[in-house]
Order: sequence, then structure tokens, then C-alpha cells
Amino acid sequence: MKKLTALLLAALMLATLVPGLVQAEGVKLTMGSWRSDDTAQVQALLDKYKELTGVEITFQPTVPAQYNATLRLQLDNGTGPDLMYSRTFAASKELYDAGFLLPLNDIAALKDNFSAASLEAFMADDGTIYAVPYAAVSQIVYYNKAIFAENNLEVPTTFEELLNVAQALKDKGIEPLANGIASNWDILECVFLGMLPNYVGGAEERALYEAGERKMNDEAFVKALTDFAALSKYLPEGFEALANEDGPGMFGMGRAAMFIDGSWTVGMFDEYPDLDLGVFAIPAPEGHTPGLCFHSDMGMAGNAATQHPEEVKAFLAWFASVEGAQEAANLLPAGFYPMINAPVELSGEMAMTILGLNEGKVLDYRFIWKDFLGMYTVMVDNLNAIARGETTPEAAAEAFAAAQEEILAAKAE
Amino acid sequence: MSPKQTGQRLGVHPAPQVPAYPASGRIMKGSVNLQPSLRARNRHSLNPGGGYWFWYLLPALLVYILFMAYPMLDSVRLSLYAGTTGTRQYVGLANYTRLFTDPVVSTRFWGAFKNTWVFFAYHMLVQNVLGMLFAVILTSRTMKGRKIYQTIIFIPCTIAVMVSGYLFRLLLNPQFAGPSLRAMGLSALVRPWLGDPRTALNVVSLVSVWQWVGIPTMMFVAGLQGVSEDLLEAADIEGCNAWQTFWHIKFPLILPVVGMIAILTFVSNFNAFDVVYAMTGPNGPPNYATDLIGSLFYRYGVAGEHPIGIPEPGVGAAISTSVFVMLLAGVLPTLRATQGRD
Repeated sequence: MKKLTALLLAALMLATLVPGLVQAEGVKLTMGSWRSDDTAQVQALLDKYKELTGVEITFQPTVPAQYNATLRLQLDNGTGPDLMYSRTFAASKELYDAGFLLPLNDIAALKDNFSAASLEAFMADDGTIYAVPYAAVSQIVYYNKAIFAENNLEVPTTFEELLNVAQALKDKGIEPLANGIASNWDILECVFLGMLPNYVGGAEERALYEAGERKMNDEAFVKALTDFAALSKYLPEGFEALANEDGPGMFGMGRAAMFIDGSWTVGMFDEYPDLDLGVFAIPAPEGHTPGLCFHSDMGMAGNAATQHPEEVKAFLAWFASVEGAQEAANLLPAGFYPMINAPVELSGEMAMTILGLNEGKVLDYRFIWKDFLGMYTVMVDNLNAIARGETTPEAAAEAFAAAQEEILAAKAE
Repeated sequence: MSPKQTGQRLGVHPAPQVPAYPASGRIMKGSVNLQPSLRARNRHSLNPGGGYWFWYLLPALLVYILFMAYPMLDSVRLSLYAGTTGTRQYVGLANYTRLFTDPVVSTRFWGAFKNTWVFFAYHMLVQNVLGMLFAVILTSRTMKGRKIYQTIIFIPCTIAVMVSGYLFRLLLNPQFAGPSLRAMGLSALVRPWLGDPRTALNVVSLVSVWQWVGIPTMMFVAGLQGVSEDLLEAADIEGCNAWQTFWHIKFPLILPVVGMIAILTFVSNFNAFDVVYAMTGPNGPPNYATDLIGSLFYRYGVAGEHPIGIPEPGVGAAISTSVFVMLLAGVLPTLRATQGRD
């Protein structure tokens, strides 16, 4: 009996030492992600892929807030997943620059199926693409149709009208907005950066700020901050202590008439069957070209240190193809939009309505994502201060310009 | 305790008795032979000399070194490096220089340092004084329903901080608690308590005090129950009032417990993180008013700052090492002042 146990143990140890012996013939890959909410859907996509190619991919998501740090740790230690969801701009570029991500320039479908703007989010300084663009999100205004109808209010088409609507609601004792500042991110990412394309324009104008030709205390920025200050007067009572998670509940229960948030929230309103939900784009001020923040949010990248580079590349090529993108789009949660240049069908009526708001508008990413992510905290702190009435739009613009200068100077070195 | 004392004490007490025969019959045969040798060894074991004691310490020592001392020293080493595992580079004291001279990082550090002291002061002055008051009341001879009150005071300690923190976040928010407070005529209390930099830290501290007051209460109760009844009776007969009995008899006798509680409060509050994370968030909003050393360390060393979220373990380790030194400087004098009066 003892001998048998010893033998078995020895065999087990040997098996762990020589992984090739126990591994099945098919190649097994792993996929890292922060979308732990979508495990079932993504697994379905990966099962489909296994049917097609025989390559088995295991989905290993992490909690969103810890994804970047966990991924970095895994890559540093050589235990990173073969395939991974990729953040856009700085967060993923840093990984590519450190040599962790596979360059994907030889996937021809990338250039054919995606716009230059979509690829920009995953482009290294030398023009190498290191991830397949996957999904984008937009920042818009959700409104309660029933409350608007009861008070004879129209959907505002200019920012001035938006302020009038908010005033009319406030006069009747209805909270106009469900936004707060306690989370320290949504007031910037959803509200201010959502407003910004209406004031500074699209990618071309953004490039002028990135080159230092325009300063963030120019007329456009001061106007945007002044309008933000005007809008912040309509934040609900106790907005200082309201977090982003509180917004959907407050708006969904009809305690506020509008909620400025991301398209990714749209699925949460299914929990409120009584809510008569409508959406409109954050309106531009009178005389400005309307823009919209349509932000590239996720891509798919390959691990440069993978044991199976062939299979990883093959999966990414499939992911960049129209067939692959259609399969993936079917599984995207509501409010995430595929970035492929092909008519892809999406489920969810409201999600399609939100996508429709893009029509006829100048689209751009979140303004600071490409070069100015370093001033994120400066921006949040100043917007919070404006909302609290502790600083002026002009002073905030000066702080923005100073931060811009600092980043440009560091870059020039 | 001196070796002489040890010998005396052991001399007074009879040697531990070994049962003459084991209860089980199966090994009786062997035990007959074993018995004399056991006895002989027993006699010697009083002080066999040499380093035999070391083997008794070894398991605990190994666990302590492996899981406490080594990681702690390694974190000191880590504070001299930049980058994460694969790209780690020795940078000398650069992390400390950054921590104490960089305008942003040092402002955050000293802000968090100050907030942590305020947070600690609340626990020391409010939680522990309340705990003492509750304990004296609970151990009073005329107290009725002691068990019930004791349970009520202790219940919050059993609730997860994430849960109680979240509930208080709602309770303290005008949007959720406002209507009921107004209905009760308490509209003065309808304020964004956690959103105002002037009130947020105080409120967070008080919630934590509410949650944990049961721990010092229990320990003080245990301490006070150990106070000899004779002394209290004697005090009664001498005509001491309640305050005199407390201040001159009970308090000096439970001083070691008070010292222990003070140290525990000090240590656990300098590591506090969960209540801030649950009630306001890892950034210590509003405007870093509730940022504690714990949340600062989490942001720099573990999670990284939103939106990039790449941590700097070196800076995190520098924060924790600096705090470790400060804790040591605080704990050692307290220990010396209150403990070790054998």
C-alpha cells in the first residue's frame, strides 16, 4: 500500500515537472479582463471560437478597480494571460513600451476594418498597433420622459435651454440632476469631458492643445468651465456626498429628472420598469458646433511572452475580422459599441438610440486621455472646487493651463 | 522574574504528577517499562540546563520570522526600490525624498498623517472614555440587565465595516435620510455630512467609534471584574464616593488594561483603512479630508491612482516604513509607562 502511494506521488510530481505530458493536444490560452460582469457572455464567445479552431481559451477576469495593477504584476512576474483586455491610451501604451504586448502590425484586417481614430487609442509612438479596438462608450444625458411631460418641458437643444429646463424643474421643487461629486471621477469623465467637445471641437483641435499651440486657459476652456459652473448650481442637495453609484438609483426612482452619465449605465435602468427613459446628447451652447464624447474604452491585446504566439495572433486576427467582431458585438453588454467599420447589429433599443446621438456630431475621445492623463487629479479637484463654489472658472482654467504646461515640458525633455 | 524566584516557586509546588498507569489497556505492557525512565526524566526536567528551551520557541519563532519579521524587513528593502517586480531598480532613498519633498506627495502624506491623528484622537478620547464609562456602569453592583446592555454595546463590532459604512453613508446623505429627518422636525441635521471637508473626518471617526466601542468596554469590564471585592468594600466603609472609588482604586488597578487598550487603539487606528474605503472612498474625499495613512498607502502601494492604476510599491513601502518608525516611537514609551510593573 505504501509503495503504491509513493509511486503515485512520484508520478504526480513527475507530471507537474513535465507539463507537456499531462497537457491535452489542443492549445490552451488564458484571457485577462476587467469585465467580471460579462463572464458568461465572453465564455460563450470563447466556446464558439473553440468550435471553429479547437483552441481553448479560459476567461480569467479581475475586479475592474484592480485590473491594471493585477495585470501589471502578472506581466512583471511572467504569469500574465496570453490574451488580455486592453485599456486605451496611456494605461496600455505603458505596457507596450515596457515590452509586454505583441505588436500587431502584420494583421492586415486592422487597417482595413478600423478607422485611424479607433486605432489611435492603441498606437505606440512609432505607429505600431498593439491591440485590436473592441468597444467604445459615450457620455450622454439620461432624462425622465414622464417628469419632462408633466412639466411641459422640451428636450433642450442648446446648453442655455438645458439650464432653463434645470431652473424650471428646480422652481417646481424637482431635483434637476442626479449627479454628485463624491466619487471623484464621474464629474470629470462623464460631465465635464462629456461637455468639452461642444467647446473645443474634435481630434484636430485636441491635437493643437497636445502640441501646445493652444492653452487650456483659452476662450473655449473658460467658456466650458463657466457653463460647467452654471450647470453645477443644479446639482442635487447634498451632491457633495453623492457617489456615482447613488445616481442610477436616485434617477431610476424618479427623484431627479436628469442624470449625466456613461452609456455603460443604460443596462442598470432595466431594474426600474416604471422609469420612462429617454436620452439626449449634452447640448452645445448657442452657435457652437455640437460634439460628443465617444470614447474608445477597450481593446484586445496579446502577451509578448506567450508560449503560443501563433494561436494568440490567430485569435486577434479573427477578433479584428468582420465575423469575429459580429460575434463579439452580440455579446457586448448594453451601452458598449463595437468600433469596427462595418454595419454590426446590436441588441438593445435604448443602446441603439444612444448610438444614434452620434449622428452629425464631431466625435472625440475624452480630451485628456491621450497626452494629458497626468492632469486628471488637477481637473477633478478644480471641478469639485467650482461645484462647491470655492474657485472660479477663470482660476480653474489657469490651473489647467499650468498643468498642461508642466506635462508638455516633461514630454519635451 | 529572576532564576532564584523561579526555583523557589517551583520548589513550593509539587512536581506535576504523571499518571501511574495509562487508562488504555493496550499499551500497558510497554508502559510498565517506561515508567521509571519517565520519572527519572521528570525529575531532571525541572532544569536540565543548556539550550533546551530553544526548541519550544522554534515553531513560534519560525512562524513569526516567516510571516512577520521577514515581510516587514523586506518592505523596508522594497522602499529603496522603484518599479514593480520585473523592472525593479535600486534607487536609494529616492522614494523617501519624494515622499517628504515632492509638493503633491508630501502634502498628501502630511495631510493623511494629520487626519490619522485626528482619527486616533477620537478613538482614544471618545471611544475609550465611553468604553470605560460603560464598563464602570456595567460592573456596578446595583446594575440590572447587565448582559443585555453588554450585548447591545458589542453588537456593532460584529457587523462588517463595509456594511455599516455603507448604511451610514446613506443615513448621512440628504437624498436618502433627508425626508425622514425633515418629517421628524430635524431639518438642521439634513446636511451632506460626508461631503463637507469640515465635517467628513469627524463623522467618519464617530461612526468608527460607534462601531468599535464594544471592544474596550469588554476589556475594561473584564479588568474591573478582577478588582477585589474587599478593596471596594473597604472603600465603602471608609466613605469613598463613586468617583473616589473609581479614581483611586479601580483605575490604578486596571491601568495595565488601559495601557494595552491605548496601544491597541494606537496601532489599529494607524492601520485604519476599511471605514474610509466604505464610507467615502480610497481617495479620502472630499478633497482628501478623510484620507488616512491606510488609504494613502493603498493608493500608492496597492491600487495605483485612477485612471491609470499602476501602483508604486516603492513609495507604498516608504509610507509604511515611515509609519512603522512613528508607531514604534509611540508604542515604546506607552509600553514602558503602563506595563511591566511586576
